[in-house]
Amino acid sequence: MTNTSTPIIEFKNVGLSYDDDEILKNIDLELEAGKFYTLLGPSGSGKTTILNIISGQLKVTHGDILFEGNVINDVPVEKRRMNTVFQDYGLFPNMNVFDNVAFGPSIKGLSKKEIKNKVTEMLSLVKLSQYADREITELSGGQRQRVAIARALANDPDVLLLDEPLSALDYKLRKEMQYELREIQQRLGITFVFVTHDQEEALAMSDWIYVMNDGVIQQNGSPEDIYDEPINHFVADFIGESNILDGIMKADYLVHFTGKDFENVDAGMRPNERVEVVLRPEDLDLTTIDNGKLVVTIDDQSFRGDYYEITAIDDDGNEWQVQATNKSKIGERVGLTFDPEDIHIMRFNESENDFDARLERYEDDVDDAKK
Amino acid sequence: MMPKSKKQRQLFYVVPYSIWLILFVFAPLVLLLFQSLTTSNGDFTLHNYAVYFASGTYLKMTFNSVWYAFLITLITLLISYPTAYLLNQLKQKQFWLLLVILPTWINLLLKTYAFVGLLSKTGTVNNFIGLLGIAPQQLLFSDWSFLLVAAYIEIPFMILPIFNSLAEINPRLEQASHDLGANKWQTLRRVILPLSMPGIKAGIQAVFIPSLSLFMITRLIGGNRVITLGTAIEEHFLVTQNWRLGSTIGVILIVAMVIIMILTRDRVRKSSRKRG
Amino acid sequence: MSKKFRWANIYLWFVFILLYLPIFFLIVYSFNSGSVMQGWSGFSLKHYNELFSDTRILEILVNTFLIALLSSLLASIIGTGGALYIYNLKHTLSKNVFLSLNNILLVSPDVIIGASFLILFTVMGFALGFTSVLLSHIAFSIPIVVLMVLPRLQEMNQSLVAAAKDLGANNWQMLSRVILPVISPGILAGFFMAFTYSLDDFAVTFFVTGNGFTTLSVEVYSRARQGVSLEINALSALMFMVSLLLVLAYYVISTRAVRSKKRGTRLVLPATEGL
Ligand SMILES: Nc1ncnc2c1ncn2[C@@H]1O[C@H](COP(=O)(O)OP(=O)(O)OP(=O)(O)O)[C@@H](O)[C@H]1O
Ligand SMILES: [Mg+2]
Repeated sequence: MTNTSTPIIEFKNVGLSYDDDEILKNIDLELEAGKFYTLLGPSGSGKTTILNIISGQLKVTHGDILFEGNVINDVPVEKRRMNTVFQDYGLFPNMNVFDNVAFGPSIKGLSKKEIKNKVTEMLSLVKLSQYADREITELSGGQRQRVAIARALANDPDVLLLDEPLSALDYKLRKEMQYELREIQQRLGITFVFVTHDQEEALAMSDWIYVMNDGVIQQNGSPEDIYDEPINHFVADFIGESNILDGIMKADYLVHFTGKDFENVDAGMRPNERVEVVLRPEDLDLTTIDNGKLVVTIDDQSFRGDYYEITAIDDDGNEWQVQATNKSKIGERVGLTFDPEDIHIMRFNESENDFDARLERYEDDVDDAKK
Repeated sequence: MMPKSKKQRQLFYVVPYSIWLILFVFAPLVLLLFQSLTTSNGDFTLHNYAVYFASGTYLKMTFNSVWYAFLITLITLLISYPTAYLLNQLKQKQFWLLLVILPTWINLLLKTYAFVGLLSKTGTVNNFIGLLGIAPQQLLFSDWSFLLVAAYIEIPFMILPIFNSLAEINPRLEQASHDLGANKWQTLRRVILPLSMPGIKAGIQAVFIPSLSLFMITRLIGGNRVITLGTAIEEHFLVTQNWRLGSTIGVILIVAMVIIMILTRDRVRKSSRKRG
Repeated sequence: MSKKFRWANIYLWFVFILLYLPIFFLIVYSFNSGSVMQGWSGFSLKHYNELFSDTRILEILVNTFLIALLSSLLASIIGTGGALYIYNLKHTLSKNVFLSLNNILLVSPDVIIGASFLILFTVMGFALGFTSVLLSHIAFSIPIVVLMVLPRLQEMNQSLVAAAKDLGANNWQMLSRVILPVISPGILAGFFMAFTYSLDDFAVTFFVTGNGFTTLSVEVYSRARQGVSLEINALSALMFMVSLLLVLAYYVISTRAVRSKKRGTRLVLPATEGL
């Protein structure tokens, strides 16, 4: 990404500890204005903590938070031009829908008429125009969630922070809301920072994803980057389904695993370096034994609507997840095939920076080779 | 032995309890009302009420009593709300709350008695202000000392319900309020205060009604004057032995109490359903 | 931020000092070798000696605790029965009626309770003394026991009762093996509350005690009106220690109850009984 404008939010080496418990370790973030960002990670990985640091609810142990280039570590919550949609909504039970949404504008000291206009606008944005007079207790979960979004947006924030806002909704409503949230973000053109532990949700909605685990950012990139080029075992495992095997990079463009050598498209590693090999289930195809690069035995299969999920076992005893369009017979021996570019190589302990550097070097090589 | 059927069992539970209800809840109230409405021959009369409402002294005393109860409630509320609010932000809040409750477990007479020593003309408080060059004051037997001691006694009973209602408020709401741009004060006024209203009302109930009927503190600290409904009732029952008029004042006290209960009852919040 | 917090602490300290000043004042002066709560003449235990050789006050102390113990025991039994009855009622209306009746004595000012009980005992021709005081204390303690036991019953797992019935438990076994163990923390809390209510009561006792019988509160009242004696301070100091122990006991019981149940009973105060 080459962008010269100042990021709207920046974390510089941010850390946070409770007593001796290090919750966040050296976090660096750069968020550009107007984009949809997602913090993705398992429960307890520190997503809410990062959100609370951005909004100002939590103070960092070390490091700087910048807003449009200015350090805002000591700016109190109420002075930051950001608003939050909380994990449990946090709607005021003593106020009805209208008063909840009107809270921010009325604190700002807008006139009665302006407040009313603003609330009306926001409620129609979240499709709740008919519900202004309802008490909070009289709303369904999905409706409460919309009120929380309207309330946060009524303050005209530059950044909207959303903490797993969809996790309490049923599958269908969730899909709908994913779409609507994305639409709202694009319509308003403000920055969204969305927290979720659902990788599908993250891939579907985001411009840019930060994958977290144990208080560390494992990888950041566009959904495609993250899916196609996971940097390590954790990311490969967490995002989508993966077949991860131990292997050895014998030379550039030649990798060895399950006792065989395969042609691939990675380079720039030490000869005979130990690596991990990732193959996505949807990149694998079942074929005849003669056409297969490997021979596997079908162990299990289940129908998933638009494909069959198949578990197969190769002769080394490795388990393979395969997504196939055709039904197979359990116990049958078949061939397994994939293309060289579907083999993704991960080095052990490679940081994001090393990874990027290697990728660049390697791309240069390719360019040079072309010339 | 334990009775067999469910009906018998219910009977077994309820007999002592109903005897209590009839003998110690109904009967005394009926007798009080009866006393206030009869002559010594047992004939019906409104004479006692006529005496009460015709007497400037009684009406003034009633007004005073309500006024003092109001002041006591106000003082305790003003001291207790910030205390409850701040206590609720401490780490070991249950422990500190226990420390607030502890003084209520100490006999009330003993605490009042301490103030007799503290406030007397040669007592500690006068010695202390003497150090500041102020001549000894008559602190005991004044309205101020009465208000001070009554408020002192009542403070824990105000703190506790307010504390409980504050503790029940989801901390997320305070965060949300700040998030939406409200400072500490605006958050307190617009979110915390309305949500802790049930506690405030409970506290007012717990303080106002007993304050109307104080008589011991009035006697010991307030200078033996008949300044509350409670003192008047005690005076009529135990000093002048005019039970009929005493009962009349009792009935009036009960009426005042019922009014307070209705005023501070928790209404279901529906008023805002219809807005323009 | 931190500056603000310091102000908050100062305020809290102020309130706590206010709350405890009179109590410590009493205790400190109980060790004064002089005979009034003024000045300081030196440390002495003579008021404690006086106290322990004052047979009248010791007798009153015994009476006071006897009344407290008996009244809270009997109130616990009757109140638990009442709570079980109300709990078993089918209609919400009758339940609410009983609950309202139950609470009448709780919200009534003590002067009213005292005066109306005085009329009651006089009308019934009942002699004022130990029994009238005991009956009165039982009477004003019953509703608090009911209020402490009822929530326990309501929280009781219905499937537990159904399972016990299913296993063929009869009424008595049901009560002793299933219900009582579950509600016993409530009964215990009610007993403690009743006990402190009784110890603390002044107003009701003052009305219904005759000439022959006195409790501690009434005795302190009459002595304080005549003038201050430091013997009372010594007594206060001892009473404070007893209260402290009771509070600790109650705290341990109630926190244990809280731990066993997520939503346990809160600490409940003796209402402003005895003002
Ligand atoms: N006040 C606190 N004191 C100590 N540890 C805390 C505190 N708050 C959070 N933590 C710890 O910080 C870690 C990160 O918490 P955080 O709430 O950010 O997780 P999360 O990624 O949002 O998880 P979830 O998906 O479950 O919401 C957790 O291990 C949590 O136990
Ligand atoms: Mg979270």
